Amino acid sequence: MTNYILKRLGQGLLTVFLTVSTVFILIRLAPGDPAVSYAGPLATTEQLARVREQFGLDRPVLEQYWIFLQQLFTGNLGTSYSFQAPAMQVVSERMPYTLTLATAAILLTAVVAIPLGVWMARRPDTNRELGVNVLTIAGQSMPDFWTGIMLLTGFAVLIPLFPASGFATWGGLVLPTVTIAILQIALISRMVRREMTANFAAPYLTVARSRGVGGPALTWRYAMGNSAIPVFTALGTRFAAMLNGVVVVEVVFAWPGVGSLIVRALETRDYPLIQATVLLTSLLAVAVQLVIDLAYPLLDPRVRLGKAAAA
Amino acid sequence: MNAQPAATQDYKEPALLEVRDFQVELITDAGIIRAVDSVNFSIHRGETVTIIGESGSGKSTTAMGILRLLPDDLAVLSGTVLIDGVDVVAEPKAIDKVRGRTLALIPQDPMTALSPVHSIGSQLSEAIRIAGAASKDKDAVRARAIRLLEQVHIPTPEVQLKKYPHQLSGGMLQRVLIAIALASEPQLLVADEPTSALDVTVQAGILDLLLELQEQRGIGILMITHDLGVARLISDRIHVMKDGSFVESGDVQQVVEHPATEYTRNLLAAVPVLGPWDETPAGNTQPDAAAAAALTNTGASHD
Repeated sequence: MTNYILKRLGQGLLTVFLTVSTVFILIRLAPGDPAVSYAGPLATTEQLARVREQFGLDRPVLEQYWIFLQQLFTGNLGTSYSFQAPAMQVVSERMPYTLTLATAAILLTAVVAIPLGVWMARRPDTNRELGVNVLTIAGQSMPDFWTGIMLLTGFAVLIPLFPASGFATWGGLVLPTVTIAILQIALISRMVRREMTANFAAPYLTVARSRGVGGPALTWRYAMGNSAIPVFTALGTRFAAMLNGVVVVEVVFAWPGVGSLIVRALETRDYPLIQATVLLTSLLAVAVQLVIDLAYPLLDPRVRLGKAAAA
Repeated sequence: MNAQPAATQDYKEPALLEVRDFQVELITDAGIIRAVDSVNFSIHRGETVTIIGESGSGKSTTAMGILRLLPDDLAVLSGTVLIDGVDVVAEPKAIDKVRGRTLALIPQDPMTALSPVHSIGSQLSEAIRIAGAASKDKDAVRARAIRLLEQVHIPTPEVQLKKYPHQLSGGMLQRVLIAIALASEPQLLVADEPTSALDVTVQAGILDLLLELQEQRGIGILMITHDLGVARLISDRIHVMKDGSFVESGDVQQVVEHPATEYTRNLLAAVPVLGPWDETPAGNTQPDAAAAAALTNTGASHD
């Protein structure tokens, strides 16, 4: 067990290392110059050169990478150009907002999508099920910036129930959460329906019925118990993805999270800030994935740790 | 030709299972198929009645129809099925009171018949609680679960309770499923090809177990099989099924030794016969007797 965790931790750290290294190279290959963003369009060549020197951008890329690696192991990724503050600190301050939003969205998704999927699986091919099915396809098809703007117009402007932007009160959490959850609910509920339908048709369910097991136990204890692994995995993976910043939704609702931060960092070519964001979010994503993997044996006795570690 | 059950003896008590003019129509994309067409039979205490036939003859559909385990929107039942005096065709809700109480199923493939994510112990305990016979106290349920596993000759029952289905062999799982079926002390067992997914050596053990339990408890058994060896070994009466109806019914000895239809003769001919090592009783001149005797001698070891 300890070996397995250590091995997974090692793999996770390697993933994070490769991710930040790739990003380090990619942002330098991409067009745009941080010095121009920092010094402004009217800066002279001399001014630009001074800025490059100050940021260490005049050195060869390999040397910059070597410095970056040293910074990486001390956990200090340099100073953000635009915030003039340690990049890690800037990202860390934004992280709780994204975490809050992602947690709220995934909880809302689970609470709505699981019962909804079960409801659909229990009455397949009825008119009501068909109606909900069409709604989930609609939910899946609406782009989140559009959903966000519609919700903003509806529930912040026309009927001012919730604040339009920011996170000054808990009410501010509602619209961005709902915007993210609509798409996730559509996806997850269809998945729950598919899994439950397959398990309702499984032989063990017929046998359980033959020994007098009642409807609720058949649905929840048996069909749900057997659908739990893929559904749990999907929820976990989506949660991990949201931690990288729910970019569009954060921008639409001016949410002070990592997603809107990374947009700003990219716009200004703020290399230290981009690197710090990628480092923190990929660390979190790897941690969430590790928790999911460790939870498997709890949900599925067939997943023996020995077998999983050997694979 | 719908042969009536050949049983003529007078029974003192009413039948555990009385099936009259039972029909199952399946709604398929290709139209309505009459999978079971007017079958009649009955099972009394301590009796084993076998329905035998080839794949697709409707024998399993008959069993699943009696248990009302066919999907309501795909299968239309008609006729009369009296289980312990209650007509479950006329009163669909009545089946809930007999399933897992007076009536239990032993399924076809033990490997897929238990939920893979729940332990043997939890599925067995659930059956015990549904049956309501024992006290609901946790220790009492556990003690009863261990006793049931002992009755089906599972070694170290305390250890097995903690295991999951994938950790047991097919034969052991079928014993667990029989233990689950016995949890409610049923009067009637429906065994739907209980040995067809198992190795031949394991098959014999399961059939012996069923016979032993029947002797101890006087359970009535409805056996579904395509295997004349199995039918021969455990049946009192057999019904030969083809295309949804019984083509031949009667005492097991009589059907095997004097098959009345070509179909039954073909079923008999399909049973492999041992060659030179023949212990056929002398003076037996019936053409089918050799096959019948081979069945008698080798019992269930034929697949």
